[in-house]
Amino acid sequence: MAKVVIDPITRIEGHLRITCEVENGKVKDAWNTCTLFRGFEIFMEGVDPRDTWHYAQRICGVCPNPHALNSATAAERAMGVAKVPDNARLVRNMLDATQIGYDSILWFYILNAFDYVNVPNAANAKTADPQLRAIQEQLKAVLGSGQTNLFSNHYWDHPGYVLPAEVDLVLTSHYLASIEAQQWANQACAVIAGKFPMIMNMAAGGVTQLPSVEDIVYYKDMMSRVKEFTDTVMWPDLLAVAAAFPELATFGVGVGNHLTWGLLDGESQEPGDRVFPPGAIFAKTLKTEPVDPSKIALYTKHSFYADSMGGGRGPFEVGQAEIEFSDYPPIEGDELPSGKYDWTRAARYPSPSGTDVPMEVGPLSEVLVAYLAKKPEVVAYVDEALAAVGAPGKPEVLLSNLGRVAARVIKARVNCDYALTWADELLANLKAGDTECFIEGDLNATGEGVSGYDAPRGALSHHVRIADGKVTKYAAVPASNWNLAPRDDDGVRGPVEEALIGTPVVDPTKPLEILRTVHTFDP
Amino acid sequence: MHESNDSPVRGLSRRDFLAYCGSLAVLIGLSETGAPRVAAALEEALKKPVLVWSDFQECLGCTIALLQSTAPTPAQLLLQQLSVAYNEAAMAAAGFQAEKSFDDGFAEGAYWVIEGSIASDIEGAIAIAGKTAAEITKERYSQAKAVIAIGSCACFGNVQARVPNPTGAMGVRDWLRGPGGVPGATVINLPRCPGHGEDLVATLTYVLVNGSLPELDSYGRPLFLYGKTIHETCERRAHFEAGQFVERFGDEGAAKRWCLYKVGCKGPVTYASCGINRWNGRVSWCVHAGPCTGCSEANFWNDLTPLAEPVPNVPVPGLGGLTAEQIGVGIGVATAAGLGAHLIGQVATGRLGKGGPPGLVHENGSAAPGAAAAQGETTKGGDA
Repeated sequence: MAKVVIDPITRIEGHLRITCEVENGKVKDAWNTCTLFRGFEIFMEGVDPRDTWHYAQRICGVCPNPHALNSATAAERAMGVAKVPDNARLVRNMLDATQIGYDSILWFYILNAFDYVNVPNAANAKTADPQLRAIQEQLKAVLGSGQTNLFSNHYWDHPGYVLPAEVDLVLTSHYLASIEAQQWANQACAVIAGKFPMIMNMAAGGVTQLPSVEDIVYYKDMMSRVKEFTDTVMWPDLLAVAAAFPELATFGVGVGNHLTWGLLDGESQEPGDRVFPPGAIFAKTLKTEPVDPSKIALYTKHSFYADSMGGGRGPFEVGQAEIEFSDYPPIEGDELPSGKYDWTRAARYPSPSGTDVPMEVGPLSEVLVAYLAKKPEVVAYVDEALAAVGAPGKPEVLLSNLGRVAARVIKARVNCDYALTWADELLANLKAGDTECFIEGDLNATGEGVSGYDAPRGALSHHVRIADGKVTKYAAVPASNWNLAPRDDDGVRGPVEEALIGTPVVDPTKPLEILRTVHTFDP
Repeated sequence: MHESNDSPVRGLSRRDFLAYCGSLAVLIGLSETGAPRVAAALEEALKKPVLVWSDFQECLGCTIALLQSTAPTPAQLLLQQLSVAYNEAAMAAAGFQAEKSFDDGFAEGAYWVIEGSIASDIEGAIAIAGKTAAEITKERYSQAKAVIAIGSCACFGNVQARVPNPTGAMGVRDWLRGPGGVPGATVINLPRCPGHGEDLVATLTYVLVNGSLPELDSYGRPLFLYGKTIHETCERRAHFEAGQFVERFGDEGAAKRWCLYKVGCKGPVTYASCGINRWNGRVSWCVHAGPCTGCSEANFWNDLTPLAEPVPNVPVPGLGGLTAEQIGVGIGVATAAGLGAHLIGQVATGRLGKGGPPGLVHENGSAAPGAAAAQGETTKGGDA
């Protein structure tokens, strides 16, 4: 038995430690420990309901847009605005489309690629292509500088790096190109929302203003480029990686339960009308059930909060106030985590039999639920991916690390197609003289608002109660409460913990396979 | 440092590089046996500035913002102009291998960029490889060539320092100057939320070219970047002067891009370079889309909220020694005078400098250099 601790897990947002018990070359048990706490639910009490989205988008600087969107939606509902003007829906969708467009590229290349692409090996490739040679020279200068750099001290000699040098070089060149490609999406965001990250045009009740025709034309140009990159660079790269690493389909299955609140609103603004509809899947059955954010159950026995705070109660009844933290589990020695070991709470959802169970969230959940709902554009991309990996008509192979990787790119492609459609619809509305984009809510209402709408990492919900122009209770249940949940009060592992079980580890001092499984969740 | 057969000079193999050093050695009067000395000297001279980038209590927004830079591009900056030893979002290595890069970077003489705040009450609210941000800062401060706090978290604690500041979140400089820290510690603060990549590049360039730190205001902000208000550089400024205001989001004024003061813009009291380097390759900036939140000002989540309301407690001409330019009230414009009267009303009722929150004016009523919205040096990021 070997204890393997990876701290920090790099190439993620946030601060994460993974502890594994490895036996006979496989992960036998696993624990995730988030090592960051800020206390948003505590300090958001008392703020002006019109301001909550400004605070909330600071929860995640990688995915601020869906935090702002959920927070504004929850607040406007609490202030009596059930539906925003259609132009506001279009602008919000357009902003989330830039978020998804950029985040998919960021994750696939900048956060994920080094788990598969051997950058130093790219320097060994033989190529006559002048652009690739120039990149090679640049790489050699960095690698040969004698100075510590972003590629230093990594286990590039791990046998899991199997790509030929020429493929490593091409993918490295795409990595560099991806840096510019993700900028296009965020420039499209900025021209409408002022900047990215941390947008400026959200409002509880709609948006501050509508973009000008010039802004929308610029948006379309940038998102067309993002679409081209997604379709013609990232998609083929995905298929190449899937073909080169067939073992990806053989581990990382996880809990087999999936949850999504859905995302990208249709005209009715009803959840069922979303491009990616809400739904849940239980026990790998590939059959969907309806979902309701009021059924979220939070547990804290293994989190750094009082046991009594959780106990399966809902977000409005739980909080972050009663902190019980003394120290993290030791890194050195044989001692494994027990008791309280995580700043994250364990979010659970009732299965059809009524038991609270862990739920995986993320693009795989969204794509599976949309696929089962027979959304045609999702079905087309899923079928294309399944055919490419030699599993036509077998969506169950997606219940794996392969599925998580593929679903992010499938989601991105669907998203880019819609982004341009919404921009055209907004242009048509402007041309027709429809400029409504904001409804002022009742600031002094006593009310409650809940919004469930998926972020790039998966299910995200914001929950707010207001009275006398102030927030009296604020709760956010982000994807990390689901995927990076610690064990619950019954000792049941969270989704990342469970997905790690059985992950092969060739060399416990170079746990590349653990990084791969963890990164598929975009933790 | 790893061993390598590669050459520090682009386009030259290691063998060619050594041959080149041999001929140089002869040229300068050494024999060919002097080649290793020449090679070592050249390699030293060709080294790039080393950057270690730490993430404390943060959201990664500053790193993401840096990735949006276009001049230089992130690839130019991270691969060509600097030698980035450690950045958790971008580096290949993880775990103890990453820790080694952290150690190596400091051993090579790093400029240390910090994104995120330090938790002073619940120190374990932020830890990396088992060490808290407070422990890391104390251990590494003196090893860095300079410490640069990027973004408002590392400067002032930012949103997590909003009352009641559950973890005791503080800016790096304030924490270092606190009990058990390093008296008089110097940190260059580059606040905004997120921090701006071009502010970082400009500051690093200044330090490298001049071999000294730029002149800082009382908040540790370089004056060359934080000397002007948003209001001074605002693209909507003409509408302020003309008395044309957005009264409600989505109204006719919003469609015409009129002044956002009445819907909460903090531009008059906010010092930053936004109007110059804008955002996302300079294609846009905040006030193009909505009211400025004052994100470069210390403690703005406590002192400038509700964000949806007009700026409270703005000092006005003739009071507190501030100039008209500092708050942007135009001269001889009827509507601006009206606004001034409104603000004078606030002062007259005692909301300014007496019963109001700290942070907008110094106790003696004068503005700090380059910071009208200044507050005492000893602020602890809203730990009030």
